[in-house]
Amino acid sequence: MHRKDRGLIKELLKQTTPYDWLLLFFLIIVSLSGLISMKKFLPSGSLVTIEVEGREVYKLSLFQDRTVEIKGPIGTTVVEIKGQRVRIVESPCPNKICIKQGWISRGAIVCLPNRVVVTVGSGETTGGIDAITR
Amino acid sequence: MQSQDRVRIALLAGYAIGLHMLERLIPTPIPWLRFGLANIITLIAIMLYGFRIGMMITLIRVFLGSLFVGTFLGPAFAMSLGGGIVSTCAMAVVYRTLPLLFSPFGLSLIGAFFHNVTQLALAYLLFVRRIEVILYLSPIILFLGIITGGINGLICGFIIKRLEPEITHIS
Repeated sequence: MHRKDRGLIKELLKQTTPYDWLLLFFLIIVSLSGLISMKKFLPSGSLVTIEVEGREVYKLSLFQDRTVEIKGPIGTTVVEIKGQRVRIVESPCPNKICIKQGWISRGAIVCLPNRVVVTVGSGETTGGIDAITR
Repeated sequence: MQSQDRVRIALLAGYAIGLHMLERLIPTPIPWLRFGLANIITLIAIMLYGFRIGMMITLIRVFLGSLFVGTFLGPAFAMSLGGGIVSTCAMAVVYRTLPLLFSPFGLSLIGAFFHNVTQLALAYLLFVRRIEVILYLSPIILFLGIITGGINGLICGFIIKRLEPEITHIS
């Protein structure tokens, strides 16, 4: 290269047209406004709360994939968070209703035998359980 | 097809595949972030030799590139093919209809934009099926596309500027 770096940059910028910069400006505005509005648009239910026997044992982000094991009264329940959804993978309970419920992205999965409650919410506590009947 | 064209296609497609493979070796903070260096070659081909040769080079690059990497006919192949075809068409259409409005810098931005939009649409149709995930990702992807597309455009402009005297000399 014969010229100095500054000359090169100057040369590169000289060949651009005003419309290039207009386009660049427009695209940056579009993507940045999208970025800002997305933050507001996102559903508030982004926090996964896991409770055992009324005690809160985990508070996890719905956007972070991970698997956790929870010790309940009758065994270990495995909860998986993946792709902004939650499910119970394994449970020691006899009827496996919690597993059959599958993936949720809002609401709650309740496993009564093992006393595990998985809620997807905005972070405010749901108030706990009033009563359990069997 | 003239033999001259064939040589050009072969040479430029070779460069495009080379860059395509090379950028796979460059580690990026996000796995799906790619620089799209092969787009430089596509844009050079469109500006110097026209849409037809540009499209041929894109197709050869996508097909051979995926064969070399082992993603042929897989999901990544569909994304690559769709993005490549649409961005090549977009750049060629803009360059044809408004030849002096944009420099390679602007054309590359257009190409990157259409590439990303197509890939997001394909990702929605083929895999994710959750519009909020796509909407959440799209501003980030479009913004990164502006940066990589802009840099590629500047490189492309530089190469074309250096090539032009030789090309007018030959033809």
